[in-house]
Amino acid sequence: MKFFMLILKNLRRNMVRSLLTSAGIMVLVFVITLIWSILGFLDMATSEKAANFKGIVTEKWSIPSQLPFSYASTLENGAAREESDVKPIDSMTWQFFIGSVDKTNIGYSTFIFAFCMEPSKLLTMMDELDSLQPGPRATLDKAIKAMESNRQGIIVGQKRLAAIEKKVGDKIKVFGINYRDIELECEIVGTFPPGRYDNNTCINRDYLNASLDAFKAAKGRPHPLAEKTLNLVWVKVPTKDAFSKMSSQIDNSPMFAAPPVKIETASSGVSNFLAAYADLLMILRYLLAPAIIITLTVVISNAISISVRERRKEMAVLKVIGFQPNQIIFLVLGEAILLGVMAGAISSIGTYYFVNRVIGGIPFQIAFFSSFPVLDGALWWGAAIGFITSFAGSILPALSTRSIKVVDVFSKVA
Amino acid sequence: MDDKKKSVVLEALTDFITFVSPYFFYFFSLENAWRLIPVCFGFFGLIMLIVYCAKIPINYNIRNLKVRYRTTLLTALAFILVTAVLTGLMGFINGLKRLAQATGNPSNVIVLSQGSTDEGISNLAFENMGDIAQQEGVQRKNDEPLCSRESYLVLSLPIAEPVPGSPTRRLLQVRGLFDPVASAEVHEFGLISGGEWFSEAGVRPNANPNKAPLVEVVLGQGIAKQLAGDRSQADKEKARNKEQLEVGDTIPLDTRELVVTGIMKTEGTTFDSEVWAKQSVIGPLLGKTNFTTLVLRATDPEQAQKLEDFFTGKDKDFKYEKSQVNAFTETNYYKSQSQTSIQLLIGTILVATVMGFGGVMGVMNTMFAAISQRVKDIGMLRLLGFSRWRILVSFLTESLLIALLGGLIGCVLGYLCNGLQATSIIGGGAGPGGKAVVFRVVVDWGVLGIGLTISMLMGFVGGLIPAMSAMRFKPLESLRG
Repeated sequence: MKFFMLILKNLRRNMVRSLLTSAGIMVLVFVITLIWSILGFLDMATSEKAANFKGIVTEKWSIPSQLPFSYASTLENGAAREESDVKPIDSMTWQFFIGSVDKTNIGYSTFIFAFCMEPSKLLTMMDELDSLQPGPRATLDKAIKAMESNRQGIIVGQKRLAAIEKKVGDKIKVFGINYRDIELECEIVGTFPPGRYDNNTCINRDYLNASLDAFKAAKGRPHPLAEKTLNLVWVKVPTKDAFSKMSSQIDNSPMFAAPPVKIETASSGVSNFLAAYADLLMILRYLLAPAIIITLTVVISNAISISVRERRKEMAVLKVIGFQPNQIIFLVLGEAILLGVMAGAISSIGTYYFVNRVIGGIPFQIAFFSSFPVLDGALWWGAAIGFITSFAGSILPALSTRSIKVVDVFSKVA
Repeated sequence: MDDKKKSVVLEALTDFITFVSPYFFYFFSLENAWRLIPVCFGFFGLIMLIVYCAKIPINYNIRNLKVRYRTTLLTALAFILVTAVLTGLMGFINGLKRLAQATGNPSNVIVLSQGSTDEGISNLAFENMGDIAQQEGVQRKNDEPLCSRESYLVLSLPIAEPVPGSPTRRLLQVRGLFDPVASAEVHEFGLISGGEWFSEAGVRPNANPNKAPLVEVVLGQGIAKQLAGDRSQADKEKARNKEQLEVGDTIPLDTRELVVTGIMKTEGTTFDSEVWAKQSVIGPLLGKTNFTTLVLRATDPEQAQKLEDFFTGKDKDFKYEKSQVNAFTETNYYKSQSQTSIQLLIGTILVATVMGFGGVMGVMNTMFAAISQRVKDIGMLRLLGFSRWRILVSFLTESLLIALLGGLIGCVLGYLCNGLQATSIIGGGAGPGGKAVVFRVVVDWGVLGIGLTISMLMGFVGGLIPAMSAMRFKPLESLRG
């Protein structure tokens, strides 16, 4: 305890240096926390789960995938034909509706990107929404019920709602961009919890399909995209074996000849989409993050080296009064590590609460991810980075204290 | 501080920001940032001139940097790292931006379906395309409008032997063309010698009569290199050119094969990442029979702008009314695609600011330590007649010297990234779409100017506060220690 108090006292003695070093550590840990959160989130999205993992069925060759809606029921059933065939635990269809609330002015403040799907699947199949806390889950459930009772009801992400300057209860008309001449008159019945779906919208698939039928009735011909409305089918399977069997069922099914389809794990699908960002992510992972860690180590090393050089006399005195060289090394290391761990922990924990609770995620658009949460790991990252960088930065200055000779120091004083 | 003083300070601050902002945005734009290099050296030269004229003992500062060489090197290392990383990142963004800006001909007009800002989500009605192309202002050749009817689609192509943990498919951008010769003329792309455009049929017989005919394609140079890397090991060993696909090479596509008939001279444009094929062949093969894009060649850039206004209804008296479409001059369209690089630029500026702040803390530590070790020296200098401001300049020069040294080495390291091939996405920002592109990192004078300026700013800010504290020392108290 006395040793710890001595460390604290030493840190307090040169407050300016301690504060400057802490500030340097804090800002650099802040950046690393953001970078690691983005990379960690993408790693999670592209790593396969051991159980209950999801598969995505899409058109085999083209992107965006555009399948006839007639594929939906068979694919939702995993293309099972025999009793012994594997069927999904759950499934969901996605039809993308890209539109604008203003027909002539299309931009960030008018844009709508919607998943048209069965509303009930929001709570069972959508990542993160399927594991909501009871409070937000009940709120979303209420909105889903409203969508089911009124098929024109839509759920809009909170940032999108703010961008189009609307609120829950408002009615909007969405003019189709990909579905030319389709106009959806919708009522906003709820919002998504803050986070991943901030910029997305959910429309009841029955409403889109009914609008396409109405187009055919009015114009006397089907809509040009009428046979291409199904974009994705998600299936949830219990095990990897089940996924392999289902994959073979779908590949061998005669139902999906034109256009052919493919099934891949959700992680593989996301990974392929992210391939174009590979270099950017590589820069973040292998250039920026290490450069910041090295800068951090250099800043700490510099501060501790200066501190050791300034206190040669003091260390000589410590040796005279009986401190062992190793104790002095631990004293120097202790000062650096305490400073590093404290500043790092404050920074990363602060970042965690500020980003997640105040601004609702790191706003950075990569593929279909528009914002990233700071991961729970950040609660210990800062302390760990602080520990490692301060240890690496102070070990050499600390070891150099062994070379301090009492005679030399005091002969200079004399 | 009372309210009156507060409002005066706030007003002065607002005036200062208002005055400085245009210069900041002017100098820190990638186009003008090269001007920062003479500004940096000019500023440093000015400091050195003051040092010379005011007879500030610069040798004393240089000697001090040499004596405390470890601290000097560690501080310089922080500058080097921050500058090198920043320069590399800015080079990446600069490459993306250059690519988007270099693509497109100012005399071309891109017509998309109404509301579409990206080819990926456009869906043009075929029946309207003929009438659109017949409008006045569109250049004619052999009494036919010079235009390119195109279908832009993205193909998900499996990679032969993917490395475990890496993507298993490559997203390939395919442009189906109605008439390749007209398209080549509109886009003004030639082929590297030895190649030829695909035939009228778009297919050629397969050497194996039991197999379907080969689909003829021409490739951009960038994608030709990437696809060469995606081949299986066995195919790579057999290949005539291991680095790039060549004329006659084939790309498997399910039961069909694409055969390369030419490589386009498209380096430095987004088309470098594209595969071009006959629309009537590739469209049905991939289940996409609609057209996404109509590119019109206007008689001149001015006429192209008029056509854009005409189709988008900007000109109220003279607008196209037969169908509703969206139109852009080709250069405007690709400029709008640099939104992604703007987002990255903002991210980089934030990272640079935070990293720079960390670096500033390091410099301050060093300079405060340097000053605390030399309190008696400062007292002596003051007694010898050196005024306070000379002491300030003396210590500031020390920190600027480290910053200049670190900044220059950092810039040299960052410059090593120049010319590296990279991939990314460019897009217009709102909504889905965007194009995967192959491009080269461009570390030019503008990027180096920003890197050096950030380094000098770090040195200036990090050195100024300790130098100000040094100038406040009283001579006799300093000598007493």
